[in-house]
Amino acid sequence: MKLLTHNMLTSHVKGVSKGYPLLIKATQVKVNEVDFNPKFVSRMIPKLEWGALVQAAEGLGHRQDLPGELVSDYEQNEDFLKKVHRILLEVEVMEGCLQCPESGREFPISKGIPNMLLNEDEV
Amino acid sequence: MAEPRSEEDLIRYFCTAGNGMEPFLMEEVKKKLAAEDVCQLPGKVLFSSSAGIDKISDLKAAERLFLLLKQDSPLRISAHTSSAKAASVLQYRLLGDKNQWTGAVMTWSRLQGELAGSRTTARTPSSALGLMIKIEEGRGSRGKEEEEGSCLVESRKSPEEQREEENGNERLKSGEQNGTRTLEKKRKRNHEEEEEEAERKNVEKGKSAERGRRREEEAETGMDVEFNSYHGTDVNQSTTDLENNVESSSRTMDFTERLQNGMNTCGDKDQTPLIVGKSKPELSSSIPVSFRISCKCTGSLSRCFSAQEVSSVMGAGLSRLLGWKVDLKNPQLEINVYLGDDLCLLGIPLTRSPLAKRSYIKTTGLRSTVAWAMTCLAHIQPGSRVIDPMCGAGTILIEAAQEHEAACFLGLDIDDGQLQKASENTAFAELGHRIHLLKASSLALPLTSSSVDAVICDLPFGRKFGTKTDMAANLPLILAEMERSVLLIKIVLCVGGTLVLLLSPQLSFLLKKVLTGPSSHQEAKPPPGTENSPSPSVCATKQQAKASPQLSLLPRLSSLRHEATFRVSLGAIDGLIHKYVKTEC
Repeated sequence: MKLLTHNMLTSHVKGVSKGYPLLIKATQVKVNEVDFNPKFVSRMIPKLEWGALVQAAEGLGHRQDLPGELVSDYEQNEDFLKKVHRILLEVEVMEGCLQCPESGREFPISKGIPNMLLNEDEV
Repeated sequence: MAEPRSEEDLIRYFCTAGNGMEPFLMEEVKKKLAAEDVCQLPGKVLFSSSAGIDKISDLKAAERLFLLLKQDSPLRISAHTSSAKAASVLQYRLLGDKNQWTGAVMTWSRLQGELAGSRTTARTPSSALGLMIKIEEGRGSRGKEEEEGSCLVESRKSPEEQREEENGNERLKSGEQNGTRTLEKKRKRNHEEEEEEAERKNVEKGKSAERGRRREEEAETGMDVEFNSYHGTDVNQSTTDLENNVESSSRTMDFTERLQNGMNTCGDKDQTPLIVGKSKPELSSSIPVSFRISCKCTGSLSRCFSAQEVSSVMGAGLSRLLGWKVDLKNPQLEINVYLGDDLCLLGIPLTRSPLAKRSYIKTTGLRSTVAWAMTCLAHIQPGSRVIDPMCGAGTILIEAAQEHEAACFLGLDIDDGQLQKASENTAFAELGHRIHLLKASSLALPLTSSSVDAVICDLPFGRKFGTKTDMAANLPLILAEMERSVLLIKIVLCVGGTLVLLLSPQLSFLLKKVLTGPSSHQEAKPPPGTENSPSPSVCATKQQAKASPQLSLLPRLSSLRHEATFRVSLGAIDGLIHKYVKTEC
């Protein structure tokens, strides 16, 4: 699971009002090399929940020097874009789980794929 | 490698297309190839373009690609005409001028060469090509491939074939460079390799050296299409094909000789440089080319002729006209003849396998052409987040990712088996960093609201039900599931986001119910989008009206605005592609 995906994921367990963002408990993290596409990154940034991204990156120990607030005029800042690219697409949680912040329910991650299926009683 | 083309290099092609795909294909050729004189016929699109053949063979909405040989008004032969007379009319109308034939074959041959050449340098996921890039020059790209692990894809070709293919393609390049020295080096290497081969392969000891040389020469002309258009195809198949080529190679040899002045025959090891390509070589009229005719006769003509008859009449005629030989098993050249009430069309296929069979997809689910058409409608932009809530093997996402480099894609499925296939497919297509997967249910999408720019989905509802009665019995369930899915999709979509759905015509009726809500008994208005929607929709909605009532929307109840519907063939059945846009409630 990449952090780009994590940024969109939320828990819909019955009764939960704030299921976002999910806490990441990683047991295996991989870092890949992925082609840098500045256009993609700069267009993606405004759509992200920046706080959740930084929090997740920090939790994985991969925050490096990502700022807590979005810098203005980031589109031209290639250095910044590369940092974001790295955290969005290169860091990957292969094994572990995601935890609902309210209910504590854990969703396992296996071979990089999170299992978000709910049981009948949770829907 | 491809020279810049001038205006005169406008070549006319035609493509076959699945029912309903023609408008998509027309748009595509105009947009990607700057095509001119684009004509649409049922199941076909004709166009002229000066774009490179590598771009043309990259068309996504087409089934097969042909070089146009001849296009003519339809044959009019009354059923009472004697078969002899009919045969002569056929030959007269279809065979025509022999220069037209030889010219077309020259163009075809040149295009084959270009296709082969472009495939050596292109970075396709084919393991064989990956290895070729490695062997040839050890470029930087190789290093990267290694890091991404793509070279770990199991090599499916024997080292002998790989090297021969490499030789064949290097020859194409070296020929163009006109370098004697390069040639010498390669001749030497071939000789060494031939020795190695002879040692390794006991069975074909005597033949291998000879065979190696013949193959090189065949590859040079680009006639040996199997060689150069591999995309991870079955090794056994390829071996058989190559062996067949040996048998017919004497003919190939002659053709090669004529085609390229000054070429030496096999067995001669002198270092005479080959003169390839820049000037059009003289074509003797008695070139023995082996060919086969495939014919399709429809409409009134099928009463006069059977496809077999046309093939044999034309085959005989061509042989006489050009001295070509008919070879039904493994011809060098295939000629497709289409005789219908609308026109006569003759063409030469340019690729071994249909364009619709993608090199980058291992296991298909939905037809790639239809999947691609759906992604076209989804209005994907750089930075778009696109999801497929029931992705299956991932066909739609892969087609979308191939087309849009600056967007990201998420596939969801509840089934482990499907996710496994999707994972393999995305890895095979080298798109693993842009297509992400999630195990989740479309009935409980674990995504935040307004987090998605486009949803593209082939809804499998009703497919698991065998009979109509099964369907009828489960209708309430299907309806409920559909309702919930659409509701959740609506929530996760951004305002302005698009929803593209593929449904059977029968279930499209249910969709209408879902979207109009409880007050479906109110007066149905014609869908607001249809009149001014993009061109492809018009005839489709008319057809759809026959199958089910037109989709109507009562704006105040729904925030999904219907924009267009297209009817496409999915093989045995038809499907309807619906496009919606989320508006402010």
